[in-house]
Amino acid sequence: MIQRREFDQNLNELRELLQTMGEHVEHALVEAVAALKNLDSKRAKEIIERDHDLNQLEEQIMDLGSRLIVTQQPVAKDLRRILVAFRISSDLERMGDLAIDIAKVTMRLEGQTLIKPLVDIPKLAELVVLMIQESLQSYLDENTDLAYKMAKDDDEVDHLYSQTITDLYKIVIDHPESLHQAMSLTLVGRYIERIADHATNIGESAVYLVTGHRPDLNH
Amino acid sequence: MTTAIQIEQLNLFYNQFQALKNISLEIPQKAITAFIGPSGCGKSTLLRTLNRMNDMIPGTRVEGAVRIGGQDIYGEAVEVETLRKRVGMVFQQPNPFPKSIYDNVAYGPRLHGITSKAQLDEIVEQSLRQSVLWEEVKDFLKKSALSLSGGQQQRLCIARAIAVHPDILLMDEATAALDPISTLKIEELVQKLKDKYTIVMVTHNMHQAARVSDKTVFFLNGEIIEADETSKLFSTPQDSRTEDYISGRFG
Repeated sequence: MIQRREFDQNLNELRELLQTMGEHVEHALVEAVAALKNLDSKRAKEIIERDHDLNQLEEQIMDLGSRLIVTQQPVAKDLRRILVAFRISSDLERMGDLAIDIAKVTMRLEGQTLIKPLVDIPKLAELVVLMIQESLQSYLDENTDLAYKMAKDDDEVDHLYSQTITDLYKIVIDHPESLHQAMSLTLVGRYIERIADHATNIGESAVYLVTGHRPDLNH
Repeated sequence: MTTAIQIEQLNLFYNQFQALKNISLEIPQKAITAFIGPSGCGKSTLLRTLNRMNDMIPGTRVEGAVRIGGQDIYGEAVEVETLRKRVGMVFQQPNPFPKSIYDNVAYGPRLHGITSKAQLDEIVEQSLRQSVLWEEVKDFLKKSALSLSGGQQQRLCIARAIAVHPDILLMDEATAALDPISTLKIEELVQKLKDKYTIVMVTHNMHQAARVSDKTVFFLNGEIIEADETSKLFSTPQDSRTEDYISGRFG
């Protein structure tokens, strides 16, 4: 059926757009943390400037998905593919915004020296990058096992996040003058932890795509 | 939900050909049940077993039971005329009699012995009101039914079917020959009628089944593949053949 072939091609296009968005977000997070580690505000600024591409990709997904709903009147899994694309693109867009928030912290800290060498935050980011990759892979391969496995990593993220906060509090107690920077770094930890939550949402979308039921992976 | 029609282990043969295979199904009362499936899957055949329309086809043999109100309609004591009064039918092509609008609707009640003009007037008006045609024809009741548009003719046929107060209304692709506006009117009408009647419809239009019905039954090669609440069947079908069909992968 010719019409169905075109529909399948369009659904695949949605999938590819999401994959591109995912790669974009992953890159933005890696770059944002690298820029923070070196307090490189030029690098941070580049991340902010590239956000426009991510927003455009999200718009493309909304346009294509809406067009397919109107023209193809999809049902069952076809409909879920489109609904899931809307949801994942919105999660990815938020993740991109959070990477920008990290870059903005770097720009605010311009000219300062870090109160401690960053170890936990890059470690946290590394774990979250893996979650982004796995959540998208679970969607692309329709692999629910991978989605559940990825959600377990979120527990490790939460643990690492609270450890980071505790360490920063300790520094503030000993060196009250570092309060401002410590609070900024606490926010960075919070942003990364939020990105992980969105990755978990993507995993939920992957499970919903396959089963038609949305689990709560973020508990 | 109460069951209006209980189909048990139904097999139907046209001579050597088995058109329905081991059908068991419950059709809920005062709800709309849609039969879908590709051509030749048995959906119209099953619909026609519900008021024994297949009796007219030579070489037809039916095994199993179709119970309406607990009684097997293929039982010996059943009179087909009485059955068809309880189970009305509307066809794909509107088929009004070449008579006036009034006489079309009054035909069934007269056949069942009603002669009082006042009573017939009341039935005609009520039936035409229920089929949402009254306002369009109330001043032309003596006009030929054939002068009506296709959509109006189909609503007249529905009025004619409900004039004898059936419990069940069967619709065999009742909107297939109509334009989109007339189709929409019939769909709205059917939604209203389910307050009073049990409706079973065969449709080639899957989106119509999704829009209108409460329960959907998917047929393939004379078998029921899946029967479920419409919203479930169209969102999370349990059988991959159902998913393929409703997603336009075959048929």
